[in-house]
Amino acid sequence: MIYLDNAATSFPKPEAVYREMDRFARTSLANPGRAGHRMAMQAEKTLDEVRHALNQFFRGESPERWAFTLNCTDALNMAIKGVVNDGDHVVITDLEHNSISRPVRALEQAGKITATRVVSRDGYVAAEDVAAAITPKTKLVAMTHASNVLGTVQPIEAIAKAVREAGPLLLVDAAQSAGVVPIDLKATPIDFLAIPGHKGLYGPTGTGALYAGPRADGVIRAWREGGTGGDSSSEFQPTLRPYFLEAGSPNVLGVAGLGKGIAWVAERGLDALREHEVGLLQQVVDWAERSEGWRVAGLWDPARHAGALSLFTPEGISPQELAGILDVSFDIAVRPGLHCAPYIHRNLGSFPDGLLRLSPSPFTTADDVATVLDALTEITAGVA
Amino acid sequence: MPAPASTPAPDPLDRYSRQVRFPALGEDGQRALMNSRVTLCGCGALGTVLANHLARAGVGFIRVIDRDFIETHNLQRQILFDEQDVADNLPKAEAAARKLRKINSAIEIEAVVTDIDHTNALDLMGDADLILDGTDNFETRYLINDAAVKLGKPWIFGGVIGAEGQSMTIIPGETPCLRCVIETAPPPGMTPTCETAGVLGPAVAVIASFEAVEAIKVLAGKKEALNRDLIMVDLWDWTFRQLKISGLLGKVDCPCCKHRKFEWLEGEAGSHTTALCGRNAVQVASRRPEPLKFPEMAERLRPLGEVRHNAFMLRFAADGYEFTVFPDGRAIIKGTNDIAKAKTLYAQFVGA
Repeated sequence: MIYLDNAATSFPKPEAVYREMDRFARTSLANPGRAGHRMAMQAEKTLDEVRHALNQFFRGESPERWAFTLNCTDALNMAIKGVVNDGDHVVITDLEHNSISRPVRALEQAGKITATRVVSRDGYVAAEDVAAAITPKTKLVAMTHASNVLGTVQPIEAIAKAVREAGPLLLVDAAQSAGVVPIDLKATPIDFLAIPGHKGLYGPTGTGALYAGPRADGVIRAWREGGTGGDSSSEFQPTLRPYFLEAGSPNVLGVAGLGKGIAWVAERGLDALREHEVGLLQQVVDWAERSEGWRVAGLWDPARHAGALSLFTPEGISPQELAGILDVSFDIAVRPGLHCAPYIHRNLGSFPDGLLRLSPSPFTTADDVATVLDALTEITAGVA
Repeated sequence: MPAPASTPAPDPLDRYSRQVRFPALGEDGQRALMNSRVTLCGCGALGTVLANHLARAGVGFIRVIDRDFIETHNLQRQILFDEQDVADNLPKAEAAARKLRKINSAIEIEAVVTDIDHTNALDLMGDADLILDGTDNFETRYLINDAAVKLGKPWIFGGVIGAEGQSMTIIPGETPCLRCVIETAPPPGMTPTCETAGVLGPAVAVIASFEAVEAIKVLAGKKEALNRDLIMVDLWDWTFRQLKISGLLGKVDCPCCKHRKFEWLEGEAGSHTTALCGRNAVQVASRRPEPLKFPEMAERLRPLGEVRHNAFMLRFAADGYEFTVFPDGRAIIKGTNDIAKAKTLYAQFVGA
């Protein structure tokens, strides 16, 4: 099988991730922090180590500012619902995945908040457009770092600077960029960073994290409350980080795997990983340019791109049909449709059929991509 | 004051007097019927005839299960429904239950609007004395067969296309099961369906009536009278065949009743549906290894209109839905987001 759906979740994982999860499950899978025995302490130590690794990787303020979550959606909900109050205004963009737009739209529909959706151009949002959308009531700017449909990387440094000057909190959805595009929390004024563990950081599904910076202290409420392992006598959620946001038994097995994934990415280096993926996408772009009916969605700028790309498909064959044929007749996995991001498809004119998304990984080769492009050529030649 | 004169309660057997007088059934048989429970899987052409017979015969509890809503083209053969039901856009199970309660208020009818699948089959069939097949597809029949064999409950198979029909009664442990006789379903797209080959109402009524008589025998405890052959009838050419199948019991290497491998009940076999992201479409994936033969399938679908195919896919449109079928049997059905509706359309036009 050729797997080009890494924007949904990466596959395969590095060998070290599989090995560590097997080892951990057999030797250390106790409930961290819930007991003083050696195995529980070992599990706790793993959480601490991976927290530390995340903090180093993204150059955060301190490890305890990282709360483990179920996935990136969970982290985004935790931040949005944790800081927004009645009467607040929120700024998002039309590049958002439903994981930001749905929580915001639901709060808006309930009459609790107002929201503004900044319009992108060619897949990019301009810092001045974000700044212009901010009002005195704006509590939060919530936006993606890289479009999950187009792969376009937003100028987050400039946007963060503009948002900080204006005052609101900034939540960045790094679903497609974590592990692909450098994010430096010391140099960039980002208040919340939501990441998935199972995409560009090569952990298993069921892992993610939310970074909450100093400006969130005393502002964010615990979206989820419950057991944290310590301070059980208190009637209320402990305020101590990271336990404040981490109620319930954590996915320590997944986090153990994530730790090895982060180490694998750090060892190879983000630049090398991103260049590999963008190089593969360049093959696709070149092919689309000389192929009838195919067109790359959004602006193709390799210097500002993550590892996903979507294509308009020729007349007479839908993205869903193409994906079906690729799977059935060629054993190739891609993602057709709207990619949980309806607004950008409306912007591009690809709503409601959507586009065909290709997302390679470090394990994808140039030969793999050539095979996929040959298959697409063959299929569309057969359409009468 | 004298006690008010009380009229004796009518004998509950009175309304069934003509049936009770049939010596082979008798009063004991009637009482057994009234104390019995039936699960009816599917309430279309076969199902409405079955339900009508059994409700009138006084079966004490009938659970009617169907995932579909009534459409005008159902009225040609689905005898419990009328034009008002179509206008009211009623689910078949609910409309049938309303009609059956009017026919016989002395029995209990339960309407279940759902798709029978491996997650709910045992719940829907576990409390029944008998399971009846009113379905239109082999996928559900194999699921019923798995559940019935696992539960050790009798079930009656029936199927009709055109003017032809088949029926057999399965008593786990005593008769061969469906998989002993038909081990695997024909691949999707390779067999005619009522939607492609048509169907005559009276032919359905004949097969459903065969099933209903067998049902009465099972429920009344008259197993000695059961037909143990596979019945095959063609009412147009007027041929009637009884295939002796009892010899197959224990002789064939049946994965279901011999090895007790319940592939459909465990969700390993059968189809898998996904609502597709994007425009109003559902993907129905049928897990089958052998590739479809598009030219044959196109020929069969031709009466519906234009059918186009190449090496990778076959496309046609029917009833306002667009179908794209792939060589492994999966299909994208455009025009609905409703998974149950898509499964019905798949069974009707692609076939399973």
